[in-house]
This record gives sequence, structure tokens and C-alpha cells, in this order.
Amino acid sequence: MHASAENVEIIHEFSIEVRDLLEQLEPSILELEKVCNNELAQESPEIKEALNNIFRLFHSVKGSSGFLQLNNITETAHVAESLLDRLRSGTLNIVPAHIDLLCSACDFTHESLDYLDKHLDDEGMADKARGLIDSFQKILSGEALPAATGSDEKGRENEAEGPFSSPGISIDLEQEPDNLKNPKIVEFFLQEANELLQTIEQDLLLWIKTPDDKELMNRLFGNIHSFKGNCGFMNLADPERLSHTMETLLEAVINGLEVDRSDVADLMLGHLTAFREVLDDIAAGGPGRIIGLEERLAPIQEFIQLEEAAGAQSEEQQPKLGEILVEEGIVSQEELQSALESQKSRGAHIKKQDIRVSLEKLDTLINIIGELVIAENMLINNPDLAGLELENFSRAAQQMNKLVNELQEMATSIRLIPVSGVFSRMNRLVHDLARKSKKKIDLQISGESTEVDKSVIENVVDPLTHLIRNAVDHGLESPEERIAAGKPETGVIRLSARHEEGDVLILIQDDGRGLNREKIIATAKKRGMIDGDGSLLSDTQVHNLLFRPGFSTAEKITEVSGRGVGMDVVLQNLKNIRGNVQLQSNPGEGTTVMLLIPLTMAIVDGMMIRVGKSLFIVPILSIRESISPAADAVTVTPDGHELVRIREHLYPVVRLHTVYDLSPDNYELDKGILVVVEAQGRNVCLFVDEIVGQQQTVIKGLSDFIIKTGNVRGVSGCTILGDGSVCLILDTHALVEMDKTAEMHAR
Amino acid sequence: MTRMNASQNTLDPDDDLFDDEDTQKDKYLTFRIANEDYGIAIANVTEIIGIQSITEIPEMPDYIKGVINLRGKVIPVMDVRNRFKLPAREYDERTCIIVAEIDGTSVGLVVDTVNEVADIPEDQVEPPPKSKHKGGSYIQGIGKIGKEVKILLDINKILYEEELETLSEAAQGV
Repeated sequence: MHASAENVEIIHEFSIEVRDLLEQLEPSILELEKVCNNELAQESPEIKEALNNIFRLFHSVKGSSGFLQLNNITETAHVAESLLDRLRSGTLNIVPAHIDLLCSACDFTHESLDYLDKHLDDEGMADKARGLIDSFQKILSGEALPAATGSDEKGRENEAEGPFSSPGISIDLEQEPDNLKNPKIVEFFLQEANELLQTIEQDLLLWIKTPDDKELMNRLFGNIHSFKGNCGFMNLADPERLSHTMETLLEAVINGLEVDRSDVADLMLGHLTAFREVLDDIAAGGPGRIIGLEERLAPIQEFIQLEEAAGAQSEEQQPKLGEILVEEGIVSQEELQSALESQKSRGAHIKKQDIRVSLEKLDTLINIIGELVIAENMLINNPDLAGLELENFSRAAQQMNKLVNELQEMATSIRLIPVSGVFSRMNRLVHDLARKSKKKIDLQISGESTEVDKSVIENVVDPLTHLIRNAVDHGLESPEERIAAGKPETGVIRLSARHEEGDVLILIQDDGRGLNREKIIATAKKRGMIDGDGSLLSDTQVHNLLFRPGFSTAEKITEVSGRGVGMDVVLQNLKNIRGNVQLQSNPGEGTTVMLLIPLTMAIVDGMMIRVGKSLFIVPILSIRESISPAADAVTVTPDGHELVRIREHLYPVVRLHTVYDLSPDNYELDKGILVVVEAQGRNVCLFVDEIVGQQQTVIKGLSDFIIKTGNVRGVSGCTILGDGSVCLILDTHALVEMDKTAEMHAR
Repeated sequence: MTRMNASQNTLDPDDDLFDDEDTQKDKYLTFRIANEDYGIAIANVTEIIGIQSITEIPEMPDYIKGVINLRGKVIPVMDVRNRFKLPAREYDERTCIIVAEIDGTSVGLVVDTVNEVADIPEDQVEPPPKSKHKGGSYIQGIGKIGKEVKILLDINKILYEEELETLSEAAQGV
């Protein structure tokens, strides 16, 4: 099909429309699971309705794609329809394999849409479509899918109803789809793998020069991990095994294994050549095996006396990894989709009158309104008017002020979308994870209509995915364990959202085994993160250890989670949107993770403070209290550190005038004011001259030029005040960090 | 210099000069710092504003004076005097901020006075002198208008040169 200019428009519309349809599809498909779990009978009205719903949606997809001659999408939708038709008529009983297949049809359609957006046709998806259609045909003709074997005997019997094939569809006799045989996937793989190898190579070379660079090692680890993942996805056992061994060695080194690091780097550099040969081999159509793999593995294993078990384990879990990567691919597609989706909630099936507006236009509108607020302020408080009796003007000004405020509120609310889109995505994730981990999980969602700024919610997707995975992988026990502990067999994960004082609170609760304090402390000790036996640490302090980079208590290392690269990323992502994470846990009863996120990234509740002539904004969220200390509450340590005693605690003092090189009104602590701020579970006191007052602050980024040119610390952005001047917003995280480094220098 | 026009504190951006790519060729906005006349390509200039209150940013090089609010947009301001390591001077009513835009980044440049927009054809521009002085690298060429000489500046280098240097210095240090 050739795309003319007007066709482009039509295709674009189609893509958006089908994405909407798909979004409704997934929850309906997952409804069918209830049949498999024996919660509902296939004949029940709920399931009938779900089936009809899915049928109708696939039918719509088929109709629109047929019109545009997108044959691959049409044919896939058609076979899905055929399957649904038989499920509907009851000639086929629903088994998990059907659900999986319908899910993959959705995924395929997603992928095709992405392809369509780029290439304006779906021809590149032909191979995948054929593979998928083939799988459908097999099930329709009574042949069970490999994935379905053993999962449900009953389903199998009923499937043997005689061959069924729909006319007009070419049946490809090739076996199940193999990623290595799909030229598109191979091309992507090779490209990415080559890039990764290049980065790894450069980093290894750098590592020889700077063997103690922790950050570099972490980066290396991450890249090798990604490479391993890619190889696993392509079912390349040899390179996957070699990279897994490299990864394990690197982890040991990061954790303080005493070896000559440049030797390790040299060794790894040698292996990169082997990887490159593999890639060349694959490019030439070979199977991608490493010649002399054992000889290559031996020296690494010598380094760490790696047990054979670890190697075997990696092979055992290989198919799993592939699946996970596919699924990770899906996640990113859905993110793409969410960029296009309108404010549509799962609950909002009723058609609303919506129009799509580009985010750019919306942002411009909000910016202009922000300027209007400032201009209004400058007009009404104009010094030229000072001292004049202007009754009519004042009235008009008041009216104007009211309107502008309404306008601003409205503009902010336009950008808010309900969290339901993100939450419903977790359904699918939990479904897949439950299947993989053989656990029974009930995901309960509430408060999905809570609205958050679009850019904020986008930044919450990754952390949420991570946390749900953690809850499934680490939190919930296996059914046997649960029964033994006297709990119901099915584990519960509760995902909820609600507004709380201008912020949004997202809770992820599981009723699993809870955090193991002793185990965390033991690991932290092993990793050298804490001194002593840790018995003095508060629960919060112990939980905070989980957020340190490189922490992991997983008994066995899995490719999903457990390398300890998760929680610190969660924290980082939330910090990026000025949010926070907190953990609460009761052993045996479960864990609650609280994500506190701002409603919007455009406005922050701020407290204005003054130091000398300069004004700053401190986000109210991080302020605990403010005091003017008595002279005898101040202690100075022998190395010149000032501590202030507030009730039972001693807090370090950060003198803002020193940090920002200003001349304050007073240098004596008891003559100024201390603002106690909290970040990362630590408190520090900011020494300021005056607290000016609270105000809603419209956040503006500092210019890129400033960030490139200088070394700005302790400032997260700026805002424009009513008089038009620019005021800096303090970054409390950085200020707390600063205090920490100062402490270290002092030692 | 003879053709100083102090009243020219604002240039209307809707002026024909800014409209057409072709008409911008060989046109330079000239300004004065200390006793020299400089010029920058008009294509980079978005507007000229009077001096206004600047908010300091901590831990920046001394030639970055801070940020200003340009109709709701926060842009950094560089003092070209400081940039050239010339002695500082009190800002007065003639002091101007030239707002230049390079690759989507707006930066304000503080200069003593803005003169005019001058037409300097290519054949009237001499290559820059080979100078070991640090400022030498900022010079794109020497433009001549009759007997007058304008030092034509490479705005990109003015903004980013130091950064490159510190980066490479840092790399050597490793």
C-alpha cells in the first residue's frame, strides 16, 4: 500500500483509534482468566459479555485495517475472531494458552502500529504475523500450543474438534517463530549488541586506567547485563553464558573481591573479541556459538571459584529471560501508546467529548498564563499607582485577579490525567509474573480515578513496574509457603492512589512475608554499608539501606530482579519528579511501599526565605519545622561543625550564606532562624535570616547553558516572583548531600 | 568612535532586518566595550534590552552574572567585559543586554553600549590575527567600514569555548 499525503492523515487516525481499542481489549481478555481460575463458568453472562466485547473490538480492528489494506493486522485480527467465535459458541473451552495467544495478538497489533507510524505500512510485520497466525491455526485445528501443554488437560480434549481453517489465510508451515530467523529482529539485535560492545570496550579500557571508579564499574555491569539480556532474548546460549559469568565476576569485584583489576579488564577485553565473532557469525546466518567457550569460562571461574551451579542456573532460566525481555518490550510500547492516549480511564466507558491537543500547545498555553499572572501582579501593584485613590480600578483589578486565578487553575487541570491508564497496565504485568513465578496473585486496584500531571505519571511507570515485580518476586510467598503460614493461598497486591495535601500518594501493598530486618543488616554488613552489628539502627534506617545502589538480599540471583539494581533506580526516578519513597513492613504480614508524588511538576508549594539580600524558595514538602535556637542549644564539634539540639536530636547546621557566598544580617545562629529540612531520611538545619512566607511557585528550569557552563549545586530550578525578578528554588537533597560530603572532609 | 547612538536601546525585532534570511547576510550588530567596537552576526540576535535586575547563581564562573526574566523565560546573562577579562565597570543607562540565540539556547550578553546594525560585505572582512592571547580564538574576523575597524566575534565560541577547555583540561588531568 502506498501512502499519499491524505493517507498519512488517515493512517495516523487509524493508529490512534486502534490504540484506544487495544486499551479496552486487554482488561477484557484478562477477565477470561476467571474461567481458568474456576471463578466463573464459561457460560456465565459476565464471560459471555467479555467474549462478545473482545470479539467486537477485534472485529473493529479488522474492519479498519482491512479498509487500509494492512493485511497483517487484518489477518491476525481475523484469526483472533475465529478463536473467539469458537470460545463464544462453547465448542472450545477457555484455557490459559488462549488468553496468552489473545494477549500476543494485542501485542502484535501494538507493534504493528508502531511500525505503521514509522513506515506507513505493516509489511515489515509479515513474518511475525505469520508466526502468530500459525499459532492460532494450530489451536483452532486442535493442535495444542507448546505453551499450553500440561496446563489444562480438559481444554485439550475439547480442542480436538476437528480441523478448522478460515478461508483466505495462507497457512505457513514453518515451525514456531524463532527470533534468529526474523531478519528485522536480528538487525535490531546486531545493531544494539554492537553498540553495547563498543561502550563496554571503552569502559573496560577506562577501567584499566582508573581501577577504583565505582560508577564506571556499575555502568560496565549494567551494560554487560543488557548484553546478556539481548543474547538471552535471541536464545544465544554461549554468549549469554559467557556474559553471565563476566557479570558475576564484575559483581564480585564491585563488592570488594581482591583481584588485579586490570587483569580482569584484560580478560574481559579478550572476550569481547569472541562476542564480536559471534555477531559476525549471526550476521552471516550462523548459529552464533562461541568456539572454545569452556576455555574462555575457565579463567574467569578461577578468579572467583565460581560454583558450577551458578552457570547451570543461568541456563535453566534462559527461556524465562526471553519472555521477560519481550514483556519489557511491551512495556515500552505501551508507554509510547500512553503518549498518544487521551484522558481515558478504564472506568470511563461512557463516551466523553474529547479533542486531542498536542502537549506542546498545552505547555505554551500554560506558560502564557504563567506570564499573565506575573503581568497582572506587576500591573496591579504598579508603583505608579501607589498612594492613589482608585476605587473603580481596584474593583476591576479584583475581578481580573479572580479570573486569572481561575484561568490558572483550569490550565493546570487540563494536564491532569487519571492514573487508571498506568494502573490497568499493571494487570497485565501481574498476570504475566504470576504465570512465570507460579504464584497465585490477586491484584486489587483502587483510587484509579485520582488525577496526576501527565509528565509526572509517565515518570511513575518504571518505578511502579519495578515495585510490582519486587512484590511478586520477593514479597509474596509460593502457595505452599502461604498455606504453611496459615495464609490464603492467593497472595494479594493492593495498588491504590489518593490525594493527600496537594500531593498524590500511591500505595503498593502486598500481604507477603515482609522485609527481613536481620537479613538486610547482614547483607549491608557484608557489603560494608554499615559498621557494627546494626542493632541500633531504626527500622526506617534499615529500610533505607535498600535504596543504596548495589544492594540485594535475594537468595538466588534471577534475571528479573535481585541484583539490587532496582530500588535505587526507583528512588532516583522519584527524586527526578521531586517525589519520595517510603517503606513499611511487618514480618509475615507484608510490605507497603508508599510513593509520594507531586500533583504537577509545574507548581510547587514553596516557602520563601531570605538570606541577606537574596531570596530563595524551599519546597514545603521537605520542611519539617523552623525554630530560632537558644544560644545554648548550639554545639560546635572540635572540627568546627555546628550541631543544634532540637528536643532529643542533634541536627547539623548548613549556613546558606556560606554555601552561596552571601552576606547575611547575622552570623550568630541564635539571631537568625533555622529551617529544618528532611531529605533521604536525614535532617539538616538551614540557617536563614528570615522566613518571608508561603507561596505557590511556578517552576522554571534553569537554562541549559547554565547547567553546561557552571557547576550548579543545591539549586533545582527557579521561579519568577510577582515583581518580575527571578528567585532560585533550593534543592534540599543536594544540600543534605553537601553536608554529608563536608562531614567526610572533616574526618 | 563617531557613530554612537545611545538612544538605540531597543531594536524592534519586527524590523525588516530580521525578516529575511538574505537580508541578514553580512549584517552585524555592533557594540562597544571599553574602547573597541565589536560585531556579531545579526542572525544570532533576537532582541536588545536595557539592563535589569539579575539574579545571581551560585558557583558559576564570574562572567556569568546570573539569570534574568525575559517575559517569563529565564535566560542566563554573560558579562562580555568579564569574559574578555577586562576591568569591570558600573552598569549605567547605556548598558545593554543583547539577547542572542544559538541552537535554541538564549543567552543575554551585557555590553557597554549598542551602536548600530552595520553592513560589512565579505570582502571587507580580514581573517583574524594569529594571536596567542586567549581572546584571539573568539574572533571570527576583522571587519572594515571605511577607516573604522569592527572586531567580529564568534558567538558560539564566546559561549562555549571555556567549557571545552576545562573539559579537555579535566581529561588531561586524569
